[in-house]
Amino acid sequence: MSSDDTAAAAGADASPGPRHGRRLFTIWLVLAVPAVLVIWFAWYPHMPPGRMSDSARHQQFDIAVLAVSAAPVIIAVLLYFIYAIVVWRARPGDEGDGPAIYGNTKVQATWIIGTTMIVLWLFVFGTVELVVPAGAGAGEGPSPIWNLTGKHTAAWSPGANDMLQIQVIGQQWAFTYRYPQFGGMESTVLDLPANTPIEFHVTSLDVIHSFWPYVLGVKADANPQVDNVAYTTVQARGGFKVRCNELCGIWHGAMTTDGTVLPPAAFQAWAAGVQAQERSLGVLAVLPPYALTYDPTVIPQLGKSIIAIDGITGGAGYYYNSSDPVTP
Amino acid sequence: MTDAAAQSSTQVAAQAEDDGFYHESALNAAWTGSRLAIGGLTFLFGCFVFAYFYLRSLNSSRRWHGSGYVHPSVWIGTTIMLLAVISAGVQYFGLERIKAGHKAIWQVDAVIAMALGLAAVGLQVYQLADLPFPPGSSGYSSVFAGFYPVFLTIQLAALLWLEILLARSRFIPAMSFVEQPPTVPGTFTVQRFQASLSAFSTVWNYLALVAVLFWLLFYAL
Amino acid sequence: MAIEIQPERAQPAGRGPGIAAAKRRWRPRPGVPAGLIGAVAGYFLGHWLGNLLGGGYDRSSLADTNDVAIVLGYAFGVLGWLAGLGVFNDLFLMMAGKPAREEPRLLGTQEPGLAKYFRYTLDHKVVGIQYLYGMIAYFLTGGLFAMAIRSELLSPSYHLIGPNQYLMVVGEHGTMMMMMMSSVILGPFGQYFGPLLIGSKRVAFPRLEALGFWLTVPAYVILLSAVLMGGFSTGWTGYEPLATQSTQGEDAYFFAFGLMGISMILAGFNMIVTVINYRAPGMRWSRLPMFVWSMFTVSFLQVLSVPVLVGACYMALEDRTFQTAFFTNQLGGSSFLYEDLFWFFGHPEVYILALPGFGVISEIIAVFCRKPLFGYKVSVAGMLGVGTASFFVWQHHLFDSGINPDMRPLFMLTTEIISIPTGFIFLVAMGTFWKAKIRFSIPMLFALAFYFNFLLGGISGVFLSDVPADTTEHGSFFVMAHFHYTIMGGLIFAFFAGIYYWLPKMTGIKLNERLGKIHFWTMFIFFNSTFLPLFGLGMLGMPRRVFEYARNLETLNDWVSISAFCLGVSILIFVINFVMSMTFWREPEVGNPWRTRSLEWQLPAPPPPDNFRRVPVILAGSYDYGVPDALPVADFNPPPGVIGTAYASASGRAEG
Repeated sequence: MSSDDTAAAAGADASPGPRHGRRLFTIWLVLAVPAVLVIWFAWYPHMPPGRMSDSARHQQFDIAVLAVSAAPVIIAVLLYFIYAIVVWRARPGDEGDGPAIYGNTKVQATWIIGTTMIVLWLFVFGTVELVVPAGAGAGEGPSPIWNLTGKHTAAWSPGANDMLQIQVIGQQWAFTYRYPQFGGMESTVLDLPANTPIEFHVTSLDVIHSFWPYVLGVKADANPQVDNVAYTTVQARGGFKVRCNELCGIWHGAMTTDGTVLPPAAFQAWAAGVQAQERSLGVLAVLPPYALTYDPTVIPQLGKSIIAIDGITGGAGYYYNSSDPVTP
Repeated sequence: MTDAAAQSSTQVAAQAEDDGFYHESALNAAWTGSRLAIGGLTFLFGCFVFAYFYLRSLNSSRRWHGSGYVHPSVWIGTTIMLLAVISAGVQYFGLERIKAGHKAIWQVDAVIAMALGLAAVGLQVYQLADLPFPPGSSGYSSVFAGFYPVFLTIQLAALLWLEILLARSRFIPAMSFVEQPPTVPGTFTVQRFQASLSAFSTVWNYLALVAVLFWLLFYAL
Repeated sequence: MAIEIQPERAQPAGRGPGIAAAKRRWRPRPGVPAGLIGAVAGYFLGHWLGNLLGGGYDRSSLADTNDVAIVLGYAFGVLGWLAGLGVFNDLFLMMAGKPAREEPRLLGTQEPGLAKYFRYTLDHKVVGIQYLYGMIAYFLTGGLFAMAIRSELLSPSYHLIGPNQYLMVVGEHGTMMMMMMSSVILGPFGQYFGPLLIGSKRVAFPRLEALGFWLTVPAYVILLSAVLMGGFSTGWTGYEPLATQSTQGEDAYFFAFGLMGISMILAGFNMIVTVINYRAPGMRWSRLPMFVWSMFTVSFLQVLSVPVLVGACYMALEDRTFQTAFFTNQLGGSSFLYEDLFWFFGHPEVYILALPGFGVISEIIAVFCRKPLFGYKVSVAGMLGVGTASFFVWQHHLFDSGINPDMRPLFMLTTEIISIPTGFIFLVAMGTFWKAKIRFSIPMLFALAFYFNFLLGGISGVFLSDVPADTTEHGSFFVMAHFHYTIMGGLIFAFFAGIYYWLPKMTGIKLNERLGKIHFWTMFIFFNSTFLPLFGLGMLGMPRRVFEYARNLETLNDWVSISAFCLGVSILIFVINFVMSMTFWREPEVGNPWRTRSLEWQLPAPPPPDNFRRVPVILAGSYDYGVPDALPVADFNPPPGVIGTAYASASGRAEG
């Protein structure tokens, strides 16, 4: 409460102490620039979810850009607090008050304009990154407005830029993948061709699931009676895991399936092979040949006889009995 | 002694001042509270309006109505709605009379309004107990069977409030509504009653409006 | 009950048999024992009635698991509990036209002893203390469930508790924390200090306020009762149609959440009306302490958004009992409808949890920086802005769900816009710290930790608001880390700051400082050590609510688990400190230890039963630190006539 303090307060009210400001800015620059460089050049290439698909690549880019935008802000705020704690702590025995600064229009206006600019930048960036990579791999509902270019054909062939359509059917607690362009054959593994636009139609038979092939950067909720469409283009070959990302009952944690990305020709060979096998076993006779949305619980002929053929189709036998390993 | 007496008289004066302050606050609280209650109730009813339009526009499995659908009786529904509206109207008329100093007319009107309100609630219970469809047969039937129990509970709570007002009005001399009572507590009692009554009136009119709105949704649209 | 707004009589009515409490009565005194009897009797009555009414609606082939019976049992149990507490006594009196019982506190006398804490007491200070103990108990219960979760996650496959028990524990932990903790600051500190900070002797609706607390007890018990029925499998969000598929534990979840919703509505309702109408003369809106502003905003969120939750819980219970089909897609309902309704409440709920923390911390930093709060108006604008914007962002929880995908850019924008008013909180803090004289008391340490945690929590929120980045992060441990940073790192740290700051005022006893410092440092370190790695786990693809995870995440999970146990020990240190200080050591602290200007610290500790002898006249803002000729904050014995003029002119304005 000394008169020095009030004088300082009056001075500080008009203009923030230039010494502190400059010092803070210098330290911030010294910390923020290397942090940004390290994030962009050292961390970005290894950031999740990787670069296996188009949408994953875009998400990785997004996360990196956000990290590069966030790091200077975090550093600035933390630096300020640490600086304040060190420099402006009350010395022992000092019972006085600080300067009575009620506000500073310039600082407040700068802050508001600054945060608004950042927000607008994030919005524009996020929207572009949502629209350009066809919905960024997220579920887009039954009639997507941002979609991949590719020919919609009832029969898929490699190398013709045909869109591969896959219906993902979630149930407790497994995913089944249906390939309408291959006679509606079904598989419990998700095999995909590389460098091909892919259209997932995600739906569920019972409760809400979420289809999440993590490294493909795709995530779409599976709601009963709802067709949720998501796009991606896989670029690298290899295996991946699909997880369920929405709590769906006790074995939610164990609801995983495997997938493989194959060269287009190999994929076609695999798919045609499964199709032929299922046709010869009579499975395809009870499945609709080409339909993007299909719910086995409403197909009348399936209700009559449940076909159980191990290892070929998840549809067979699994639609009506929940696959609960504890109480079968 | 005189000093102490003077002090106690200032204390009494101070106490009266404070009481007046909180009396004034309580009157305002009745106003604010009724408006806020309407706000909260609007969100509660809004959640059913949302469900109505959401399920109607979604029409999942083409079962907003579903096949073999039977509409609930329009006659009963319209009667229930009209009972609520007339009850609010009668009560509002009574409010105008009590403002002009006629306590007895309000009391009669309030009893009629309460009877009409109870009739609306009773008829609603009858309708719900004898629905022409299973509650889960369609989207419409769900919203219908879900909304009306909530609404009639809130109507009942409001009627309870009206009953309290009626009971209190018995102890207030009719003269107090014509000219200011001689004592401060008397004035306070009357003013409290008036504040509570006008707050009730606002809420009851609002509920009548809600009844009309949901009648439009369930029977007219 | 929510609309029963009969103004309370502060004036002793001069008629009727007024105060005739001395008469011996044959019935038991209202209180917790009578309430327990009522609850048990009510439960069995409701259960019997439910079997009578809903016997034909049996969903399960098991005996005695009729949902109608269970829900009606809960409902009648709650009514019996309230009746036993004497909640309806005044209602019956008023229905008979008699004046309600007079509250002894308002006549200037205080009931001695502890009995008043176990009754339906209308003193807002008693309610505050009740809330304080209640909230600590609820918090510890939720915390124990968290310990169980982390024990299971020590190993990538199940080893300790089975998948069903795991989901039960996860659901109980989440629901206990999200629903009960929404009153963790509004309850104890809001009810206790709200009226004191606005210079009022009373609250607008003391009955509703007390009812608000006494509903939390059955909500807690009912939520825990789910354990007896195998728990509920839906986590704290209760998504349909999984909830419809669930067993009877789900009834407990929906009923308890709805009941707690009603409690939140009542608490908020009373708070808003009190702040608007019961401010002392001179307590202008521009002088209102930030804590009151935060309570005011939160109350609006509660009164307006929680009815939607109550509606959603009601619909879900209808689906389970009355066999409606609100959320069954195959029958004309929609699982999206529940998601929309739930999150329309759920997002404001997030700010119901966050804003009180802002309020407490804003009070504390001004005191311990010995400086006025920087940019008071900006701070208020931030609170109101966050509150308003929180109604327009709920779809960001549903980015991948397929609901209105074309609206995602809009919701991305609104979500990011909400970071502007949230940023004001940091602007205010940074401005206040500028050239301050910072004192590192325990509340201040918690406040500093609050800013650290909330910064990380807030910035990670920006990652989640971005739709493409959210595709990877949604529903993963990243989200989990994000909201633990904002809620535990924000709200709970602020709650502890409030306890250390205000407990001397509430009880006249201060907590042990040495143990307090140990508590702070262990909590801060192990909180970060627990939740920071969770961001990584989420990014590496670990979904929420799983008991099985990829083996490569085991090391990180073990680290988190061990840190979580240490965090539990840190909370245990607090409990020891609290129990020992309050019961055995009882180190008195009656003055104004923090040299605070604000109104509540000018009163004796604990404050007298009627708070202020006279209505105080507020002369200055409570943040005028460092002003040499600052006026005292209030005149506690205003000259005659001042109060009278204040309300006379006010009412004149209102009518004119």
